[in-house]
Parts: sequence; structure tokens; C-alpha cells
Amino acid sequence: MTDLDLGRDAYPVPGPQNTNLADILERVLDKGIVIAGDIKIDLLDIELLTIRLRLFVASVDTAKKAGIDWWETDPALSSRAARNSLQDENRELRERLEALESKTDEASDRR
Amino acid sequence: MTEWGLEQASDGSALYVFAVCKDPEPAAFAGLPGVTTGERLHRLRFGELTAIVQSVRAADFTDEVWQVRMSDRDELGRYARAHHEVVSAAAASCPTVPLPLATLYHGEKRARQALLDETERFRAALERTADHSEWGVKVYAAESPVPEPGSDPIPPPAPAVRSRPAPGAGLAYLERKRGVQARRERRHEDALRLAETVDAAFQDVAAAGRRLRLHSPELVEKGHVQVLNATYLVAKHRAAELGALTGALRATTGARIDISGPWVPYSFVGEVQ
Repeated sequence: MTDLDLGRDAYPVPGPQNTNLADILERVLDKGIVIAGDIKIDLLDIELLTIRLRLFVASVDTAKKAGIDWWETDPALSSRAARNSLQDENRELRERLEALESKTDEASDRR
Repeated sequence: MTEWGLEQASDGSALYVFAVCKDPEPAAFAGLPGVTTGERLHRLRFGELTAIVQSVRAADFTDEVWQVRMSDRDELGRYARAHHEVVSAAAASCPTVPLPLATLYHGEKRARQALLDETERFRAALERTADHSEWGVKVYAAESPVPEPGSDPIPPPAPAVRSRPAPGAGLAYLERKRGVQARRERRHEDALRLAETVDAAFQDVAAAGRRLRLHSPELVEKGHVQVLNATYLVAKHRAAELGALTGALRATTGARIDISGPWVPYSFVGEVQ
């Protein structure tokens, strides 16, 4: 194997100071050499993160004050929200079923 | 059950891998906390290369934990910055290939084997990025609001006692709509042209370039539209040209152009698709 021609002064200098989180996430999330690890972790890609969290606009508190709190009910972000939405759907379906059944009951009673 | 099952966490620990380096100096990252407390960063030698690693509690790095972590801005920010800090510090002392956030193994034996298997990819990446840094370039066009058809300055004709609209009103409406559409298309083309101009100019200086996803409008300062989010691999001896180039492009295009760097070449160590 030939040795790589990498002198001591060949390395890149460290990243810029005070970089914003978006710039860092853009690089550490889905760049770099990807090798298979033992522990499978599905990191959201930067797009989903930014869309769902509006990460870089405001802190959660500021966002809440501004009335931006949709992530609390976003099923993808909150298991509680996911549970709630399933429960809601379930309840709604049950109610519709009951309504339909009572209608058919009425109809058969009338006969 | 599996090979790693045996080694898995008799002590509940896992090994977090930050980066792969050629002859890193321990002093370069000795003082950094890494992604956990109470465990020092250390080197894991494999063949001719060395990984920078840290022993962590496996329970803190499961997929479930990460899913929660990713919905917490501060928490995610802490981990991303901690990872980035170690990568940057390593790169300051030696040629470095960064790994993405959260690459974990069940112990040193497993990690060493997996890294050894990838040696050729690491060597190729080190070769490709030697003497180069990454520079991010974001371009913003000024936002000129396109008036909606309804908000046109021409007032709608006064409702004439439930009769038909004045003759030609429908045509005027269509014309207005068409005008808005044309302006929107022109603006879109201008933005594309601006992005192409800036990208071409940086490609001339760079060894390679990549487009990153544009940030969604909510993330961009009001009054601006991001039209280019790109990153370039630039030879160190040409980095000094970037300032002048950016200035010249700002002057000719009138656009806001933000440049960030030098970065460890995260975006250029993976295989080029």
C-alpha cells in the first residue's frame, strides 16, 4: 500500500466560530462517511427537522408565545399526540358506527 | 444470537465513533466533553488509521431516545455541536474523515472490525479532501411581493343592482391574473439565473460542489428568499480568493450572499453520487 501523501499542514482548519445550528445540522446529520453501526438509528433529515421544528427560527418558548405550538400535536413528533390522534379517530369511528346502527335499528323497528 | 449479541452490553455501554483520522494527537481533543459526561474521548487504532471514540451508556443512545431527542431543539443542538466540536478539533490536528451523528457499536472489538472493513473508503476520502476545506454559500434574492388578483389597485365595479357584471369585467380579471402569473414566472426565472451565476462562479474556484436543500421560507429572514444553498470543496491555497469572489458577485448581482467556512469537509467525504 502506498502511503497517503498527507503532510502535517494538509489538514483543514476547524469549523467556523459561532456557526448557526442549521449549518451544523446540515452537515452532521446526513453528510460524513456513513458506515453501518450496530445500533440502528433513524435520524430525521434536515428538511423534516426544519419543517417540523422550525428549529432555527425561535426557541420553543418564543414559538409558544407566538402561538406556534403545532408540533405538540404532530403525530410524528410526539408519541402522546400519536396516541391522542388514534384515540380520537377511534372515538369518532365508534360514534359514527353507533349512529349508523341506531338508524338501522330504527328502520327495522319501523318495519 | 447474533455475533454482537454476546458482546452486547454486559456493562450497558456502547462505543460512539466521531471521526477517523490519520495519526491524531490526543492533546487535540483531550479537554472536550464529547457526547456524554464522565467518559474521556480516546483513540481506537485500526490498521493504519485511528478513530476518535467515546464510551457511552447504550441506553442513552437507542433509536427511541434519539427520536425524542430530535424533537427537542436544545437537546439536539447540544449533541450536534458536541459531535461537531470533536470532529473539528481532530481535524485541526490531523487529516480527518467525519462520521455522521450517532454511529455506535457494541464495544471496541465490533467497532474495530467494522472500521477495518471500510479502510479503503476512509483512505479514498482522506486522499480526496487532503489540503481542502469546505465552504458553504447561501444566496438570497430580495422578496418582492406579488399582489394577489383580489388585491389589485383597480377597484371592483360597484355591484349594479344584481345585474350582470359590466362588459369586459371577466376579461379584465383574466388579464390581471395573467399578469400576476407572468410576474411570478419572471421572478422564478430570475432566482434560478442568480443561483446558476453564483454556483458557476464558485465551481470555477472549487474542486467540487454540492447543492444542499434550500431552507424553507419560514427559516429565512423576512424579505429574503433563499435561492441557493450550496457547499464547495476548495483547495486551501485558493481559499483566499473566496472573499474577493463573494464581493464581486454581490456587486454584480445585488443579491445577499452569505459564505461560511472553512469547514471540515463533511459534504465531500462520502462517495460522489
